[in-house]
Amino acid sequence: MANVKFDNITVRYGTHTVLDNFSLEVESGKIVCLVGPSGCGKTTLARALLGLNKPESGTITVGERCLFDAKKRVNVPAEKRNIGIVFQDYAVWPHMTVLENVCYPLKKQRVEKSQIKARAMHALEQVHMTEYANHLPNQLSGGQQQRVAIARALVVESDILVMDEPITNLDAKLREEMLLEIRMIQKRLGATILYITHDQQSALQLCDQMAIMQPDGSLCQYGTDEDIILHPANRFTFEFIGVSNFLPLVRKPDGLYLDCGEAFAYSEAVPEEAKNGGYDLGVRPNDIVFDKESPLRARVDSRVFLGSEYNYFLSLGQKQIRVQQSMLDARTKGVANEGETVGIRFVNSRFYPTEKGGRTV
Amino acid sequence: MKNYRGISPDLAAVDGHKRINMDKLMTVICFILLLIIVVIPIVMIIYNAFFNEGKLEINMFLEQIRDKKNLEAMWNTLKIAVFATILGTVMGVFYAWLLGRSDIPAKGLMRALFNIPYMFPPFLGAMAWDMMFNGRSGYINKWLVQLFGLSSMPININSVWGIVFVEVSYYFPFVFMQVVSALERMDPTLEESARIAGAKQRQVIWKITLPLVKPAISAGALLILTTSLAHFGVPSILGYAKGIYTLPTRIYAVIYNSGGSFDGIRQGAALSVMLVVVVAAALILQNRILSSGSYDIIKGKSMRPTLIKLRGAKVPLFLLAIFTLVLIVIVPLVMIVLISFLKAYGLPLAFKNFTFAQYQKVFTANGTIAAIRNSLFVSIAAGIICMFLGTLVAYVVQKIKPKGKGVLEVISMLPYAIPGTVLSIGVILAWSGRIAGINLYNTIWIILVAYMARYLSFSMKTSSAALLQVHSSLEEASRVCGASHTESLADITLPLIRPAMVSGFFLIFLPAMREVTTSILLYGPYTRTLGVQIYSLRDAGMIPQAAALATVAIGIIIVLNTIVTKLTKDRKGV
Repeated sequence: MANVKFDNITVRYGTHTVLDNFSLEVESGKIVCLVGPSGCGKTTLARALLGLNKPESGTITVGERCLFDAKKRVNVPAEKRNIGIVFQDYAVWPHMTVLENVCYPLKKQRVEKSQIKARAMHALEQVHMTEYANHLPNQLSGGQQQRVAIARALVVESDILVMDEPITNLDAKLREEMLLEIRMIQKRLGATILYITHDQQSALQLCDQMAIMQPDGSLCQYGTDEDIILHPANRFTFEFIGVSNFLPLVRKPDGLYLDCGEAFAYSEAVPEEAKNGGYDLGVRPNDIVFDKESPLRARVDSRVFLGSEYNYFLSLGQKQIRVQQSMLDARTKGVANEGETVGIRFVNSRFYPTEKGGRTV
Repeated sequence: MKNYRGISPDLAAVDGHKRINMDKLMTVICFILLLIIVVIPIVMIIYNAFFNEGKLEINMFLEQIRDKKNLEAMWNTLKIAVFATILGTVMGVFYAWLLGRSDIPAKGLMRALFNIPYMFPPFLGAMAWDMMFNGRSGYINKWLVQLFGLSSMPININSVWGIVFVEVSYYFPFVFMQVVSALERMDPTLEESARIAGAKQRQVIWKITLPLVKPAISAGALLILTTSLAHFGVPSILGYAKGIYTLPTRIYAVIYNSGGSFDGIRQGAALSVMLVVVVAAALILQNRILSSGSYDIIKGKSMRPTLIKLRGAKVPLFLLAIFTLVLIVIVPLVMIVLISFLKAYGLPLAFKNFTFAQYQKVFTANGTIAAIRNSLFVSIAAGIICMFLGTLVAYVVQKIKPKGKGVLEVISMLPYAIPGTVLSIGVILAWSGRIAGINLYNTIWIILVAYMARYLSFSMKTSSAALLQVHSSLEEASRVCGASHTESLADITLPLIRPAMVSGFFLIFLPAMREVTTSILLYGPYTRTLGVQIYSLRDAGMIPQAAALATVAIGIIIVLNTIVTKLTKDRKGV
C-alpha cells in the first residue's frame, strides 16, 4: 500500500512544455482515473512516474520512497521502480509466447523458478487467457494482446499499477468485464491504480477518484466522480464529462434573454455575476424536462429510443439542443413526437462566462 | 503525445546519471570505428591529390585533369552511365509492368529468371560477350563471317555501345525489382477509380500507374547510374583491348603501369577526386530531375491487382520476354560453359576439342584454391563484422539519437556513393605504413578493411529498417518489468532484429564473393580473390581456364543464393 505524490513536476519536450509545475497526490489503495483530452499530458505524467522520461523539476514519491527528485539528483532507474504498466499499444513482445511474456517480469525479479509458472498462469487466468498460453502474439487479436499486457502488469503484484488506455481495443461486453476484473484485482491486492483514459464512461464506472486534466496540461479538478459530475469546477470539466448544451445569455433593457437566433425571455434565478449577460447557460440533456406551462417553446426534430432512455434533438429558435427523457418520465408523462412543439424547462443550470470565439453548442 | 515521444527526455537520456553508460560508450565506439574505416581513407585521397610531403602541390592535379586521355575517360564514363541508365530504366519498367500487371503466361518462372542477371557477376557476362562478339576473334562473329561470306566482323562488342549493352543487361534488374514490388503493393482501387471516372486503359497507365511508381523507378535508376559510373569489370574487359577507358579502368591502368609506385597512386588519387566529383554531380542532377514526393499509396500488404489483358499482343510480348531472357542469361552462360571445356581458346566449338583438363587445372592449381579460400574468408569476415557494426550504428542513430547522429548517418552511407576503385586507393594510402606504421599492403587484411568500408551501409540499412519496426514501448515495457538497459537489449531488441541482421550478412557476403572492382587494386601475390583470379587468368590469355573458374564461381553463387532465398523466406517478421 502506497500513495503516489507528484510535486511540481515540469516536463518539456524541446521548447514544448507538456507539464508545468504539476502536482497531484493519489491516495493509497484507490483507483484514480486520470481523464483529459488526448494530447494533454496524461501519458507524459505516467511516463515520469515509470522513469521513462525525466522531468526538469519536481519530485515524485511513492509511499516513503523517493523515485525522483530534481534538486537532490535522485532518479531511480525504470527497472528498479517496481511499478506495473499496461501500455496503450500493448507492447507485448512479439517473439515470446503469451506465457513467456507473462513470466518475463518474474524472471527479472529473481522470483523462485518453481513459482514463476504458477504465478504466470494465475495471472493469465484472471484475464481469461490460459488457453492461449503457448500462442505467439501475432496469433492473437488486439483485445487478446491487451489482456496479455494486463496479465503481465498484474503478475508482479506491485503496489502501483499504471494503465494507459488499457481496454480501448476490447468490445463493449469484454470491456465491462475487464473493468469489473480490474476492480476485483485492486480489492484483492490493495494496489493503487493510476488509470489513464479519455473515455469518461469507463472512468466513471471504475474510479474511486477522478483527476481531470485540461488541454494545457494543468490539473483542473480532483475528486470523487459524483463530485465532478455534480459540482464541476469549471466550464471545461462540465463540458468534458458528459454531454452538455450551452445557450448564450444576453442582457436587454427589459431583462435577460437566451439568444438562440431569436431571443427567449429568461426569468429563472441567475447568479449575481451573470445578471448583466455575457454568460452561457449550461445544462445537461437529462436536466431538461418537458413542461407544457413553460414559455420556452421548442420543436422536436428527432427522437431516438436508446433502450433505457429517449434521446431528442430539439430546435430552440435556431439552436439545436439535446434532451434525454428517462423511461420513467416517458411512462408517466408520455413521449414527444417529431414535429411537435413542446415547452421545456431547465432543472439544473450552470452559468459560465462566454468564451471568446468559443463554441456555444 | 506520440509526436513528442523520443525527441529529448527519453529512456536513453534518463540513464544519464551513471558515469560510464552504455549508450555513450556505443556512440563513441561508433564514431571511432567509422573514423578508422571510412573517414581516414577518404581524407587520405583528398590530401594526397593536393598535397605532397606536407606541401600544397596543385600542379599534379591540374596536369591530370588536363590530360587528354583522362578527359576522354571521363567523357566515356558519363556517356556509358547515362545511356545505361536510360536504357536500363526503360527496359526495367517495361518488363516490370509486363510481369506485374499484364496477363502474360508463366509469370512466376519468368520473375525468377528475370532476377538471375542481378546475381550474375557483370564482368563474367562481359567475358562471355567478348568471347562471342570480340571485334577480332569472337566465335559468333567468325561464324557469321563464314555463313554470309562477310569481309569483316559484323559486330564489335569492344566499343562504348558494347559496354552500354552489357551493362544494361545486368543492371536493368535494379529498376525491374523495385518497380515490380511497387506495382504489386499498389492499391488497385487507385487504378480502378480512374477507369470508373472514364479514363482509357492507356491513359490509366500513363496518368495513374507510372506517376505512382515514379519513386520506385527513380530509386532504381539512381542505383544503375551510380553503379555504372563506378563500374570496373565490364569496361575493363571490353574496352581495355581497344584503348577505351572509363575513369575506374583508367585509375587501374595508371596505377598498374606505374608498378604500384607512390606517384602512380597519387595520380590515381587525383583521378579518384575527378570520379567522385562526377558521381556527386550525377547524384545532384538526378535529384533535380527526378525529385518527387513519395506517395503514401503503397500499402504494406499485398493485394491482387487487376491484370491487363494483352489479347493479340500476348504471344509476341511473351516471345520477346523469352528472347530477352535467353539473350542475356542463357546465351552468355552457355558460352562460358562451352569455352570452359575447350582445349585451347580459338579452337572451333566442336566435340573433338572438348576436355575436362581446364577443370582439373582449376581444382588442382594452388592459386585457384587459394583464391576461393581468400574470397570465402574475406566475404564471411566482412559480412559478420559489418553485420554487428552496421547494427551498432543503426541502433545509435535510431534509438540513442546522440548529438551528431546526422554526421554518423552520412559517414556510414558515404562509401555507398563512393566508387570501389576510389575506396581502394584510399585504403592503400591509409594502410600502407603512412599512419601509425600500420602496413597492411599485400595482405588479406587490406581487402577486408576495404570491404568493410564498402559494405557497411548495406547492413546498416537493413538493421535500421528493422529497428524502426521495434517500437520503443517494447523496450520500455521490459525496463519497467525490471530488466536493465543491457538486459532489455539482449532479451527484446536483439532477438527482434536478428532476422534483419542475418539478411544484412548475406547482402554483404554474396556481392563480396564475386567482387572484383575493389580487390583488383588491393590484391597481393598470395591474396587474390575469386574475381581477381578469373580476371588475371583471362588477362594472361588462359581464357578456357578462366571460363572454367567462372563456371565454378557461378555455380557457387547460384547455390548460395538459393540457400539464402530459402532461409530468408520463412523468417518470422516483427
